[in-house]
Amino acid sequence: MIRVLDIALKDLLQLSRDFKTFMFLLIMPILFTFLFGYAFGGFGGNESDSRLPVGYLSQDDNWVTDSLHELLTKSEVIRLDENEFRSTADLERLVAEGELAAAIIVPDGYGRAVLKDKTARLTVIADTGTQAWITIEADLLTIAGRLHDAIRTASIIESVDAERMPFKYAFEQSLSAWDEPPIAIKETKSAAIEKAGSNSSAMAHTAPAMMLQFAIAGLLTAAQVIVTERKSRTLQRLLTTATSRIHIVFGHFLAIFFLIFTQFTILIAFGQFALKVDYLRVPAATLLVAFTAALCISALGLFIGIVAKTEEQAIAFSLIPMFVFSGLGGAWVPLEFTGETFQAIGHISPVAWGMDGFENIVARGLGFESVLLSSMALTGYAIFFFLLAVWRLNVTEEK
Amino acid sequence: MSNMAAIEVLNLYKSFGENQAVQGVSFDVSQGEIFSLLGPNGAGKTTTISMLSCLLRPNEGDARVMGHSIRTDAMGVKSVLGVVPQEIALYEDLTARENLSFWGKMYGLRGLELKKRVGEVLEVIGLLDRANERVGKYSGGMKRRVNIGVSLLHKPKVIYMDEPTVGIDPQSRRSILDSVVALKDQGMTVLYTTHYMEEAQELSNHIAIMDHGKMIACGTHDELVKLVGGQTRIDLTLHMDDGKTIDAWRDIEGVTHVAAENGTIAVLVNDSNIVLPKLFEAATNHSARITSVAIREPNLEAVFLHLTGRALRD
Repeated sequence: MIRVLDIALKDLLQLSRDFKTFMFLLIMPILFTFLFGYAFGGFGGNESDSRLPVGYLSQDDNWVTDSLHELLTKSEVIRLDENEFRSTADLERLVAEGELAAAIIVPDGYGRAVLKDKTARLTVIADTGTQAWITIEADLLTIAGRLHDAIRTASIIESVDAERMPFKYAFEQSLSAWDEPPIAIKETKSAAIEKAGSNSSAMAHTAPAMMLQFAIAGLLTAAQVIVTERKSRTLQRLLTTATSRIHIVFGHFLAIFFLIFTQFTILIAFGQFALKVDYLRVPAATLLVAFTAALCISALGLFIGIVAKTEEQAIAFSLIPMFVFSGLGGAWVPLEFTGETFQAIGHISPVAWGMDGFENIVARGLGFESVLLSSMALTGYAIFFFLLAVWRLNVTEEK
Repeated sequence: MSNMAAIEVLNLYKSFGENQAVQGVSFDVSQGEIFSLLGPNGAGKTTTISMLSCLLRPNEGDARVMGHSIRTDAMGVKSVLGVVPQEIALYEDLTARENLSFWGKMYGLRGLELKKRVGEVLEVIGLLDRANERVGKYSGGMKRRVNIGVSLLHKPKVIYMDEPTVGIDPQSRRSILDSVVALKDQGMTVLYTTHYMEEAQELSNHIAIMDHGKMIACGTHDELVKLVGGQTRIDLTLHMDDGKTIDAWRDIEGVTHVAAENGTIAVLVNDSNIVLPKLFEAATNHSARITSVAIREPNLEAVFLHLTGRALRD
């Protein structure tokens, strides 16, 4: 049994002398985690503001117009894009170029007209055939409606008791009532996300996804060690010593497992402390998923190393499962965004089970029990790939 | 030299699909001797060695190495065996010391014993001062030396050396041949394969000649040479020959075999004094000119020519 360790240590010594290993195992997944996290809006800032950009130009000077501006600023649909030096022509151009979803121009006298309950029209520049305009229009109508309702309400109150409730005060009270409407929808986030911070939703998906994807990509280096061993006839030489095939297979497997598990450990630590992805919320669950995922990917690496006849094949055989398993398993686009059928097909990929396990911990805020099914599936894949590897070795190296 | 057989090979057969690589090979190797398998490329030497190393399972037959059957006791065979493969089977990204240390562990050595043997072997192969350099940076000859050194680590009773001098410079070749003799002097049994007649002749106590998977002769050098009787080999080169001269030579009385190889024609004759003038006469008759003649003492090349009708390197 000690020969298994000797073979594993030899493999690790060889791998440690290959700079490519560290590129693939550590640097690449960290870079891609940032890249995908950025793409999914994981770093906050303007880029993560999903409201529609709407230009704003006021030609009116009235406190009612100021109230309108304030209501627009608070909108969850419209993000005002203001620049006092812009002209109407500038706004038309920006809307035509798609830089702005629409533009609102408040004409001179708008405030006074509203106060006198006369017809008051906002000028809006927009492509009225777009979905964005439909959304903006609905929100604008709501805001304008609130403004008019507040003025009417204030007029009625003033007419009843002008001394205690002057018009402007009644207007402000009426508008502020909408801050706490009688019926509202309350959104909540999982405890895991709340604890980790607002930018971790994307990271909670991206960090495990890149970790799993590049664990598979890293196999090409590990597989090459086995391919080179066979090509240089050192495998055949090993078989002339009193070392059994199963010891050789286990030795290589152990080396790849150590490599992948170490990679997981470092990337989990990086995710926890640098990206605020809360892997350590349920440490035992994270450990179990990482362990079984490393088992599964190592067995796959062993199989690739034994099947591939050349270094080129080892690269191809490593990259193909990386792309197929990662794409299918939801490493690039969360499976929740896809239909039920695709989700079912996606779970052919072990990456999907790994993602389920990690996301149950870091995104869904679930407990240890939630990772048991994923871990069992990953262990099943590990056994399957390992048996395939042993079978293939016996077929290739004729007894 | 003890007469007890270190290796007993009995009627080994191995085929790969339609290709009959080894066909009924049998021989014995006594303890402490150098036994050579001589034959051209594709003769079946490496396949035979692979079966005797338990890398390939024979279709028929068996062999015993120090009493262990290759069919039923592979681990027993491997425990007494050191194998020097034809290729340089080393980890090029490890140093010579790391390679020897790893292989020593695979042969069951540990701790101080391992460290001591690695040092001794590095000294024997003359690489003690460069032991910590990666093997990938070594010359071909140095790699060959490490390749041999690996098989010596556990002081095996039997060593197989499969064409260990292929593709190396004369100086390294000389060094390897000397080390083979040194192994024999230490009491090891060496099974050596080669397609170089001179190596087999210089090293071996016994030689088995193989061709097309069959063993066509076996014995000491002198016993094998006797197979060609009093025949002499004459090597000639011809200028402006259209092929008819060689046909004419075959018809001359006293000529037993004619084989052409790389521009040289090897002719086996009963009496060179009588036949040589007839060879010149036939060449003149066919407007060809003999540009060189070398009369050689009977050797293993002549034996191979006698037995197969082909030169050894055909």
